[in-house]
Amino acid sequence: MADGILLERAGIPSVSVCTTAFTISADAMARNLGFPGYQYVTLPHPVASRTEKEIDEMVRDALADILRVLGAGLTYREAR
Amino acid sequence: MTVPEVDSADIRRVIEYYYERGWTDGLPVMPVTQSYLEEFLAATPRDPDEVLVPLPHLNKNLTVRIAALNAALAGCLPSYLPVVIAAWDAFRLDGMVTRAIWQSTTGTAPFSVLYGPKRTELGFNARGNVWGSGFRANATIGRAIRLGAINGLGLKPHVFDQATQGNPAKYSCFIAENEEDSPWPSLAADHGVAPPDSAVTSTVIRSVLHVEARHTTVPEQLARDFADSFCRTGALVRPDAAGYVVLNPEHARLFDKHGWSKTDVRQAIADAGWRTYRDLAAAGKEAIAGGTGWRLPANHPDAIPQETPADLDAPVQLIKNIEAVQLVVAGAPNAGVSSIVETFSFADRPPPVVKVEEN
Repeated sequence: MADGILLERAGIPSVSVCTTAFTISADAMARNLGFPGYQYVTLPHPVASRTEKEIDEMVRDALADILRVLGAGLTYREAR
Repeated sequence: MTVPEVDSADIRRVIEYYYERGWTDGLPVMPVTQSYLEEFLAATPRDPDEVLVPLPHLNKNLTVRIAALNAALAGCLPSYLPVVIAAWDAFRLDGMVTRAIWQSTTGTAPFSVLYGPKRTELGFNARGNVWGSGFRANATIGRAIRLGAINGLGLKPHVFDQATQGNPAKYSCFIAENEEDSPWPSLAADHGVAPPDSAVTSTVIRSVLHVEARHTTVPEQLARDFADSFCRTGALVRPDAAGYVVLNPEHARLFDKHGWSKTDVRQAIADAGWRTYRDLAAAGKEAIAGGTGWRLPANHPDAIPQETPADLDAPVQLIKNIEAVQLVVAGAPNAGVSSIVETFSFADRPPPVVKVEEN
């Protein structure tokens, strides 16, 4: 979360991603770095116990949201 | 006993105020005024603004003043502050707190040991019930560290402290070496800080594991019992095992009686610190991950490729360095009960030994 905020501040478009189990800490980090309301993407929890295939699917499902937060102006279809 | 005339409702109001501000560990804290804080700061030669532990990614600096304030909240006496500061110095030198280990889901607790004359001067317990409650210096100095983490470094549970379960040592975990009942010099003396000086070591721990060994008078058997406890698979998230053996004086004397030095004991435990590949594979911990370096099954996509050994019962060494086995003597000399403190720091170097400085 901190890295995403610091990269944005350095002018590098970025998206922070965390699982739903860590949103309290993520919001606290954003407030701590003076960026309350910082938008990031949440993925379902957990990650560690999923198969590679399940993780691929999870990321595919999140891609549209990642592009929206990135503000790249691309649609999901274009990005693929 | 005479008590000062004060309305107890006022005291409760102050205590509740601290709760409302979220400045406690769940137990009531001592009210602290500026003048009381000054008494603490007078006990140390250090500048109140000196940073003991920086945590730049959280915009936090634990200064001497904040350490003192939390020592006062914890119920310390002003004379305890030099030990609190030495403990914080040792945490900084240990290196895991500044690597954000207390934000981790692993949920480590602070653990410190005091050596030298400050133990008796401040009333530390190093004998019976050394892990238990009942002694102000142990209880409040350990608590001062945890409150400093919560209030000074901003590591509140559910927020930046993301521990999945944590462990009971997070309330307070500060012991002293029982130098009087030990056959050997203290851990601090081994590293050059001997009486009249006192010293502190600190590190981060996952658990305190009970080792009950009343059964043997054979030092090799006792060493094997400790090694087995070090190498339980549940502790093996990293490739290797590491920790402190907190040896009760009876076990220490058994080793000493057979002519074993402290180094001999540590080496014997390290040598016996292995499990078979078969054991590790049964728990799915026979391989190492490429990214994290953590243990996982050989068929995991992150596993570094490795040959399955021809002999599944050949030893896989899990303690590779004598520094992974630190030894402190503590407890009562009344039974074969010792413990292993499962640390989560660097296993290839001696612990930081910090001399206690006072005004």
